[in-house]
Amino acid sequence: MSVGTRTEELRLDGNALGGALLELLGPEGTAALGTCGSCGARGELARLVVYVRCPGIVGRCPACDAVLVAVVEGPERTWVTLAGLRSLELLRGDG
Amino acid sequence: MAGAAVLGRLTTGWRVAEVVDAVDETPRVRTLVLAADGWPGHRAGQHLDVRLTAPDGYQAQRSYSVASPPGEPPAITVERLEDGEVSPFLVDEVRAGDRIEIRGPIGGWFVWEPALGGPLLLVAGGSGVVPLMAMARLRAAAGSDVPARLLYSSRSWEDVIYREELGAVADGPAGLEVVHTLTRAQPDGWTGYARRVDEALLREVAWPAESGAQAFVCGPTAFVEAVASGLVALGYPSERVKTERFGATG
Repeated sequence: MSVGTRTEELRLDGNALGGALLELLGPEGTAALGTCGSCGARGELARLVVYVRCPGIVGRCPACDAVLVAVVEGPERTWVTLAGLRSLELLRGDG
Repeated sequence: MAGAAVLGRLTTGWRVAEVVDAVDETPRVRTLVLAADGWPGHRAGQHLDVRLTAPDGYQAQRSYSVASPPGEPPAITVERLEDGEVSPFLVDEVRAGDRIEIRGPIGGWFVWEPALGGPLLLVAGGSGVVPLMAMARLRAAAGSDVPARLLYSSRSWEDVIYREELGAVADGPAGLEVVHTLTRAQPDGWTGYARRVDEALLREVAWPAESGAQAFVCGPTAFVEAVASGLVALGYPSERVKTERFGATG
């Protein structure tokens, strides 16, 4: 198995952020719309490019690859940065 | 994490679930039906996280799609990955009555409900069929006549998860159309597809882009990206191609 293959298999998407952000964004948080602070691309968190073995989870902009979200879940606390996002739009109710 | 798993200190968001039934789907795949007090109900396409704690305190967690339709207890279908930490335990060791920790349901984007209309295109690679099966089961349970088609890539006929049920839901005028492709081995006399899903195969099987179809694609990363780019090449707008990748860690 080549190094390239291994890297590809570790590349997931923003659906994988949902559990780590459950307490912060609620069960449907992957549908929240993020705007990239670097390139301005806007889309659902579910569409981010996500690596889950960093350790922790890193979510990158699918358009420009900038790091938008990082989460590390430890035994005593969960550490989150959303510093790469210009904004985050949370959907209300079923809308 | 072979052998015993103990329940860790329950932290925010996690709850204890009891395994109430375990059903072998294929030699490598098993469905676990869970009972979890306070489970708020789930939507078709959502997943949950499972956390196992070893006697020494080491914890490992993985995400598994919910296979059961909304309104039923959560069930997960797990494929054993041979060098995995979690999946061999869930497939080979867990028995009815055992308890595991879960959190969820999770996900607000990779979800389908009949009100979204159609046509509906489901494209599965291997155990990527699980969340799509929740959608197919919801469609059947709701009596939806939204036209729906499942293109399902498996290595061999023995690896096809939910094989009998997929045959059954295909019956009837509003049945789910199921198209299999078997990429590694085919039974004698197989007349179906025997190649990987690519743009050429999608051109034959997928609803035309002009139909306004909504596609859900789930499988390993390389599979999902090949299918998604194939659908976009056929004219599907990217917002009508919802994708969920699963990794190589089990």
